[in-house]
Amino acid sequence: MDDKSYNPFAMAQAQFDKAAEVLNLDAATRQLLRQPMREYQFSIPVRMDDGTAKIFRGFRVQHNDARGPGKGGIRFHPQETIDTVRALSMWMTWKCAVVDIPLGGSKGGVICDPHNLSSREEEQICRGWIRQMAKFIGAQVDVPAPDVMTSAQHMLWMLDEYEVIYGQKSPGLITGKPVGMGGSLGRTEATGYGVIFTVREAFKELGVEIKQTTASVQGFGNVAQFAIRLYQQIGGKVICVSCWDQNDQKSYGFKKESGIDPDELLKFTDRFGGINKDKAREAGYEILPGSAWLEQPVDLLIPAALENQITVSNVEHIATSVKLIAEGANGPTTPDADQKIAARGIFLIPDFLANAGGVTCSYFEQVQSNMNYYWEKDEVLGKLDVKMTSAFQAVSELARKRKLFMRDAAYYIAISRVAQACKDRGWT
Amino acid sequence: MTKRQDSIDTLLNSLQERAKELNCLYAIEEILNRPGVEPGEVCRAILKAIPQGWRYGEICQPCIELYGEKYEPDGFQPSRWAQHADLEVHDHKVGVLSVYYTKQMPEADDGPFLKEETKLINTIARRLEYYISYQQMRRAVKEVESARRSPTRTGKGEWRCVLDLLRATDHDLYFRIAHKMLNHLCGNGIRPALDLMGSPHSMLTEDQEGVEDLNRPHSGTAFALSDAVSETIFDIADEHIRDAEILNIVHKWVQEDKLSFLVQVVNRHLTLPVVADALRRYHHMGPAPLDLHSPARRGVEVALIRRFLSDQLEFINIAKNYIGLPDFYQLLENLVYATDSHGKLGGKSAGLYLAKNILQKTEDLDKLLTGIKIPKTRHITSDVVLYFMHYNDLDDVVEQKYKEIDQIRQEYPHIVQMFKRSRFPADIVNGLSTVLDEFGDRPLIVRSSSLLEDRMGAAFSGKYKSLFLANQGTKEERLSALTDAIAEVYASTFGPDPIEYRTERGLIDFGEEMGIMIQEVVGTRVGHYFLPTFAGVAFSRNEYRWSPRIKRDDGLLRLVPGLGTRAVDRLSDDYPVLISPAQPNLRVNATVDEVLRYAPKKIDVINLSTNSFETVDAGEFIEKHGEEIPGIAHVVSKFVDGRLRRLFGMDFDQSDGELVLTFDGLISDTTFVNQIDTILKLLENKLGTPVDIEFAFDGKDLYLLQCRPQSQTSDTIAAPIPQDIPRERIVFSADRHISNGRVSNITHIVYVDPQQYGQLASREEMLAVGHAVSKLNKLLPKRQFILMGPGRWGSRGDIKLGVNVTYSSINNAAVLIEIARQQGNYVPDLSFGTHFFQDLVEANIRYLPLYPDEEGIIFNERFLTQSPNMLAEILPNFAGLAGTIHLIDVAKAAGGRVLQLLMNAEINQAMAVLTEPHAIEEPSPVVVPTAEKPAEQYSRWRLQMAQQLAAQLDPELFGVKGLYIFGSTKNISAKPDSDIDLLVHFAGTPLQRGQLLFWLDGWSLCLDEINYLQTGYRTGGILDIYLVTDEDLANKTSYAVKIGAATDAARPLPMKNPAK
Repeated sequence: MDDKSYNPFAMAQAQFDKAAEVLNLDAATRQLLRQPMREYQFSIPVRMDDGTAKIFRGFRVQHNDARGPGKGGIRFHPQETIDTVRALSMWMTWKCAVVDIPLGGSKGGVICDPHNLSSREEEQICRGWIRQMAKFIGAQVDVPAPDVMTSAQHMLWMLDEYEVIYGQKSPGLITGKPVGMGGSLGRTEATGYGVIFTVREAFKELGVEIKQTTASVQGFGNVAQFAIRLYQQIGGKVICVSCWDQNDQKSYGFKKESGIDPDELLKFTDRFGGINKDKAREAGYEILPGSAWLEQPVDLLIPAALENQITVSNVEHIATSVKLIAEGANGPTTPDADQKIAARGIFLIPDFLANAGGVTCSYFEQVQSNMNYYWEKDEVLGKLDVKMTSAFQAVSELARKRKLFMRDAAYYIAISRVAQACKDRGWT
Repeated sequence: MTKRQDSIDTLLNSLQERAKELNCLYAIEEILNRPGVEPGEVCRAILKAIPQGWRYGEICQPCIELYGEKYEPDGFQPSRWAQHADLEVHDHKVGVLSVYYTKQMPEADDGPFLKEETKLINTIARRLEYYISYQQMRRAVKEVESARRSPTRTGKGEWRCVLDLLRATDHDLYFRIAHKMLNHLCGNGIRPALDLMGSPHSMLTEDQEGVEDLNRPHSGTAFALSDAVSETIFDIADEHIRDAEILNIVHKWVQEDKLSFLVQVVNRHLTLPVVADALRRYHHMGPAPLDLHSPARRGVEVALIRRFLSDQLEFINIAKNYIGLPDFYQLLENLVYATDSHGKLGGKSAGLYLAKNILQKTEDLDKLLTGIKIPKTRHITSDVVLYFMHYNDLDDVVEQKYKEIDQIRQEYPHIVQMFKRSRFPADIVNGLSTVLDEFGDRPLIVRSSSLLEDRMGAAFSGKYKSLFLANQGTKEERLSALTDAIAEVYASTFGPDPIEYRTERGLIDFGEEMGIMIQEVVGTRVGHYFLPTFAGVAFSRNEYRWSPRIKRDDGLLRLVPGLGTRAVDRLSDDYPVLISPAQPNLRVNATVDEVLRYAPKKIDVINLSTNSFETVDAGEFIEKHGEEIPGIAHVVSKFVDGRLRRLFGMDFDQSDGELVLTFDGLISDTTFVNQIDTILKLLENKLGTPVDIEFAFDGKDLYLLQCRPQSQTSDTIAAPIPQDIPRERIVFSADRHISNGRVSNITHIVYVDPQQYGQLASREEMLAVGHAVSKLNKLLPKRQFILMGPGRWGSRGDIKLGVNVTYSSINNAAVLIEIARQQGNYVPDLSFGTHFFQDLVEANIRYLPLYPDEEGIIFNERFLTQSPNMLAEILPNFAGLAGTIHLIDVAKAAGGRVLQLLMNAEINQAMAVLTEPHAIEEPSPVVVPTAEKPAEQYSRWRLQMAQQLAAQLDPELFGVKGLYIFGSTKNISAKPDSDIDLLVHFAGTPLQRGQLLFWLDGWSLCLDEINYLQTGYRTGGILDIYLVTDEDLANKTSYAVKIGAATDAARPLPMKNPAK
């Protein structure tokens, strides 16, 4: 392969090197952190439905566990590569550190395409993965979770195989389990609520009364719905929401000056967050083009749909009234648009802080599983509030002190926490 | 009004009479079927049953005279008001059946009797005759059997006994057997027999002696054998032939004789009632013995197949192995026909009937085939439509097919109305009334079954109507709804679409007739709705494979909840569940998200309270009615906590999770999918052609609704791969996972170079490739360009594996091609379009995987990378990607040629060839010669209209600087429903803009109407107007790029000369 070609791990290392420079990390720490601590690559033999045997390639990369047991998903992907898994495991280390949960970063995967597999064959791959990895993972070692093309079902197969091997229950091995099978309540709400906990703190810091604010949201899926709910509960008003229309193959904006009512909209929303525009019109919503959400004269924008939504070509359309952007989706802003937002002085809560509610809730699931005692939803969400609030405050304090853009501040704080843990343990 | 009331009264009256007759017949049938009853007792019981069938039952006195015995009711008094019917057995009068009125009644058709009553007495007499002859046969059989058991009798006694019996019951047959025996003996050179044959006189009865002329043939006199001579013949036989053999041949001859009248009837092209009568007679002659397939019987069966099912040799050849005489007896019992009918059942009925018989006759071989049912079906023969038209003076409508298509279209609604207002002849109404009695208030479907439909080797599907009837209300209401539906299906014979289709295929002069199937709808009553638990269609060949592990003959199953209508049609807003019957565990949708997105969300049902067909929301419906729908638990899963869970018990409440129709339980817990697989394989094997079937499941049983050869439209027919194409004209070839089809007239290729794409240094650049493809998808002519790219189209996350696009970024392409280039020592897996597979299927976008580095594969990389690249000119913003994305205008790159993609699954080969435009339709070996209307015709008309419009457009008045045409009209690829895309360079005032649009709107509506009359497509306005301004032109924004573009440029239209 040509060196020129895009390599996700090389990219992640380059990004880290830049930050390490700014943080002035010592050589040993840099050396430690720019490589995963451990990597496993192994074969998983599977007897297929037609009687033939097939060998699948499995991975687990444990980037860093200085702050606690590794945490990270298992991907089923037809063209999985070790470099992709390395990059993602490093990212997990930073992600756990930024919200200050005591977990490290890992990632794993299997080269396979579930579209070519029966469900029995998938189960065999899951069990095979555990048989190879059982010695090297565990509730106190490394905790897998669902990821691309894996689901709660895969986690249960894996957990079951692990418990068979060790002859004892071990629900803390894995997260993403269904409620009642070791899962945590509040997971549905966690990401959306998490976004608003950070928004609340950001407005506080900007000295804006949240009851006076309005917002416009891109997307009406799970994250957006719960974000809107909590935001309106604490006094804000969402006047515009946009979503993808499956029939027309394009997106639309839905606007109501008096504030949208998520319960009302949900009555005619499909399970992918697609709002029926005829019924919305009947209910008094103004139907606008898909790009309208960005142009509303509001205080807060929440892109909670897809990546690369705010770009150089539309960043200028953001209204002057906008004071805050909270990234509910992953990577909704392109780097060049990022700079323009920074230049305009709009406060931005970066994705891996704003939507860290998900990973925080996974941590809570693991905690509950380990003690085999499960909290009520309110307790989960209350603890989430505490975690998100203090995470936000730490990042914004750093940003303020060092005059950093929030995205960089979040990244630096994560790396320095991990670096500190390595030092404290006497590794570097 | 009163007149109408009168006629209704009359109809009611006569219906009541018919009902009485039927009751009477049923009663008699029941009496005759009572086991072990003495004939005398039977006669006395019949006497009691008869009066209820007559108009004046209270004064009606029947009487039966049989073999000299008289049966009369108490106090019987003969009168002069009487009807009689002779009773004959084996052509001998054995008695008489009479009906008397005890006093004078008003005059009717035949004295005081109705003509229907004359018919009824005759019917009863015939029935009694069968009974008597059947009883005699039974007795004979019994005697033979007791003779066989009796120790005193030898084998000899057996055949003697049979013959004695024959002599007693059917003397003529006795003589015929004797004569055959004589021939048989002579044929074997047995001396005494030859002697007997040699003295002709000895064969004649005395009174004919002397009349015989030696020059005359004997055969005519052979019937006049005497008892004595016959005895002699049998004595000779006794001496020379073994007893067992005598018994055997006598038996065979008796059987053949039974058939002889049938042979005559079916070969003489007599009317249907006569044939039906003959079959009934044959059936009632006694229990059918397990005889061999004698040639005579085979002959009759073939004649019956030709007569009722199909005269296609391919069909007969197969059908004769599965459909026998008893089947026809059953079939004819289910027919509605006119008294002088010669009609057939029609293609759809014939196909289903053959499939049913194949399944029934092979069910012993495989347990999975047992218990597959056919819904209760009644057929109306095909010529009844002519009878109906003649009865209503509509004969000249037949000539409709020779009119101009726009006239046909214009007149069609009128014809439908005319047909629906017409009346059905009384005998047909009677027949239908009986049908309704049999079906009760079960919902019905009235299906077309025309002679041309579903013939082997030709596709003629979906052109005629099928109508659902809720079949609720009073008998009159139901009858009127039924006749209404039949009339509508009849009218569809003269609809513009089928006529156009027939014209195109040279079938217009075929004497098309329309048979009708009246089928009960499979399903259960749920609240005030009626629906099957699920239904669908299945194909024995899969042309849309989502995994390389699935083979073409693994088949394809499209399943939906409720009525199967949603599986038959391709839907734009919903999806059926797709399963490969041979590999049900390889599902299309692997992740929970995909399953949710592509699960069916609506159900078609019949609403019994409004008598209508409805589409309802699947989740809501099942939540409310789930407990009443048998077996629905196999169909739904619940989406709880991010997971799909099978239903345990009857937990249809959606408050803790949405219901999703996954059919998971059906696959894992039942044999249903195996059953479908077995049926498809069996039918394909026996019929010698790929098949498609429709089916429905009511929670208990699986019903087969239709079976026909798998339709082979030009989309799915195997394209012949030419062998003599010069290599430089081949752009690529492929030999793995090929499906059938042909995509012609490809004008543009979008080629994303896999190597270049793999070397893009940043994710942003890769995303930009996706954006560029999305833009090209909007700008290139719809369904005339192909997309070729590395690995997996639609990758997300790790987009190095393939271009990051969504379905909306590729939805105008004709073909999606994935290229797997060797990388080091491995070849990447392709996605097979899985990211939007079901969307591709429903939109009929073809998918093809390419493996350029494999041996024997042609991949003309030079053409793809060295041809002039239009990208920079079309999308200046993406010029930087010109090394990665190649946009090729095929005509420019290949000297005016276009690209054609030929795919042939039979030999697993595909080839993309540069050909002359419009010189591409090579004769195909299977389909009826096609003279399909070329896109040219639709395009030419559109262009002419656009030119006229331009000539009328006053540029100064409306502030127009230029008018251009682009899209399908310009590219000569217009379809009947295509828009006319006009680009207006506008530089006027807002007022002018309004006026211009208003003026154009008028044109748009008028042209739409004309197009509707010509093609049947109505779009509500045919013009698609795009206004561009000077500013757009300067900035090359929006559609302005089309003006003066390097490829696929809009073409200017000359406008009206400005008034001087």
